[in-house]
Amino acid sequence: MSQRFPDVNSYIHSDDLQPVVGDELHLETSDSTSLAEVGVLFHTGQPRSGTFMVRDLHAVCAYSEVPGLEVLPIATALAQYPWLREQYSWNLISPEEDEITRQVAEAAPEGFFLRVRAGEKISLPYQTALYMASANIAQRIHNIVIVEDGAALELITGCLTHQGVQRGLHLAVSEFYVGEDSVLTNTMVHSWGAEVTVRPRAATRVGRNGVFNSNYVSLRTGADIVSNPLTLLVGEGASANFMSVILAEKGSRVNTGSRVELNATGTSAELKHRGVSTGGQIIQGGLMIGNAACRAHVDCSGMLISHDGGAFIESIPGVRSNHRDAQLSHEASIGKIAPEQVEYLMSRGFTESEAVSMIIRGFLDAGISGLGAELDAAIQHIAEVAAQGL
Amino acid sequence: MQMEPVLSLRDVCVAVRGEELLFDINLDIPQGEIHAILGPNGGGKTSLMMTIMGFSGYTVTHGKILFHGEDITHATITERARMGIAVAQQRPPTIEGVRLAQVLDYVTADDLVRENLTSRYLSETNMEGFLKREINAGLSGGEIRRSELLQLIAMRPLFAMLDEPDSGVDVGSLELIGRMINEIFSQDPLTPAKRRSGLIITHNGAMLEHVLTDKAHVIIDGRMACSGNPRLILETAGASGYEHCAACIRGEYSGVGIR
Ligand SMILES: Nc1ncnc2c1ncn2[C@@H]1O[C@H](COP(=O)(O)OP(=O)(O)O)[C@@H](O)[C@H]1O
Ligand SMILES: [Mg+2]
Repeated sequence: MSQRFPDVNSYIHSDDLQPVVGDELHLETSDSTSLAEVGVLFHTGQPRSGTFMVRDLHAVCAYSEVPGLEVLPIATALAQYPWLREQYSWNLISPEEDEITRQVAEAAPEGFFLRVRAGEKISLPYQTALYMASANIAQRIHNIVIVEDGAALELITGCLTHQGVQRGLHLAVSEFYVGEDSVLTNTMVHSWGAEVTVRPRAATRVGRNGVFNSNYVSLRTGADIVSNPLTLLVGEGASANFMSVILAEKGSRVNTGSRVELNATGTSAELKHRGVSTGGQIIQGGLMIGNAACRAHVDCSGMLISHDGGAFIESIPGVRSNHRDAQLSHEASIGKIAPEQVEYLMSRGFTESEAVSMIIRGFLDAGISGLGAELDAAIQHIAEVAAQGL
Repeated sequence: MQMEPVLSLRDVCVAVRGEELLFDINLDIPQGEIHAILGPNGGGKTSLMMTIMGFSGYTVTHGKILFHGEDITHATITERARMGIAVAQQRPPTIEGVRLAQVLDYVTADDLVRENLTSRYLSETNMEGFLKREINAGLSGGEIRRSELLQLIAMRPLFAMLDEPDSGVDVGSLELIGRMINEIFSQDPLTPAKRRSGLIITHNGAMLEHVLTDKAHVIIDGRMACSGNPRLILETAGASGYEHCAACIRGEYSGVGIR
């Protein structure tokens, strides 16, 4: 499928905007509201181990409140640690991979460096925000996360535009290193303006018995999102779990895949896509590649609520085995809301839209519940918006 | 003083997918009365309940339905439910990801009395394990009855309709089902004679030992064949598989006994 290529030059992308590092954050109420929707909180006593934020073109805040978790803007970290450039930066993804990576590599990208020291289990989630507060910004981001052996981190990443912003470009390269016996949970909540183009390029390497959990929820889908993260399970017993919940409203196109290479004995991966279209286009993909004795499963499930204006859902779950002891499977289904289900709930006193919302919520939740308060709220929000789109 | 019936059907005809199924149904359920609906399979009993609840497959092509005198023929299902009408379905749909607990939470609406009643019957019926499961998924006949009746206990409707609440229920559980039904219809436990109104579809005389009904109606081939004393009808007509009733409609009996 050919994708219209986003042209950085048609956006604000140089240092036209002055950096504000060290300043007060100056968050307006509307900023805080938008940020809170994607799980990024700015109140006293927030249950977070620290905050990193890029606003428009600059990092405006980068701190950790707990020992064992180090956070720096990527440029600072690269200047400070030669080994970062040598061993980690552009190690999982090549700058030459495609136009997106080239453009990020050419820029002096903003983004975060995050390192959890060996054995440190960070109990509170760390939050990062990649925030476009102004219109027509081209954000170029490079993030590197290193969770050392025996460590654990839960990351909440909110990517968003201010509610008044319609147009923008978000190019983000992320490299995640999950060490032996360590756990990284990355929960991303996105909320984009209607004409925002989004191109994440993520890659993850997981060591022996390491666990990588990636949860993705898109609240407002923007115009055009293409995401196909790569995960390498290189250590024995390493595992990865992916979950995506997407609402595609009229005018949006979302193409989410995931390529997982299971390269060591006892590795496992599971991918669950849940998509609801009220007028947008959704392509759910995934390719599990078994190169060892491993197990993997892809589960794509869609609900097409309206087929107006070219809306569709397409599921392309894939598995490829290069090893006779690889156990790989996939399933896909696309359905609609059954009237007898809606009427059953109505006969219990639900309004039609309450009933539809509960059914959509149930569809989104099936098999993926218990992911925490942020995602719960986000999924509920999607169910309510989708019910209104009926 | 003659009180207005809770529910009245006036010359109601119903079509399902364009096909006429019920013809000229007339029915009055006075305040505090529970009527039994009897008749052979395929006669239209379930269709009658679904029509009263307002399900979309059941089109009223003629006549009207009144609830406390108000014409509800064209009211939405939600409106009817919120007026106090409820049905315990025989084959309720399953809904992926929606749990019994969510529906119970919604219908009890933080009402303490209803919450207490519901949790009492939850434990009596051993249904706690079903709270977190998808509603109606993989339930046996008896479990569906208990789940549906529990929801009605939680709703405390003014007018309850129960579709074969005894089918798929083993003899040992009949007493419990009977108690649940009496709970649904009870206004005040201290005065059992004071009851809410409703309809029960059944084939089973044993059910009517547990839940006393005021009147029975026989529906055959979409028509109200006769109405009368529940026990009498069950004993005389039910025993013959309603052959007796069919013959009666054909005029082969001249008003003997039950008409
Ligand atoms: N949803 C439906 N679609 C088509 N036919 C139906 C439907 N519901 C009921 N019927 C038909 O209507 C008739 C009456 O059925 P029903 O009301 O279920 O009777 P009962 O409950 O007395 O057994 C039957 O012939 C049945 O096949
Ligand atoms: Mg029936």
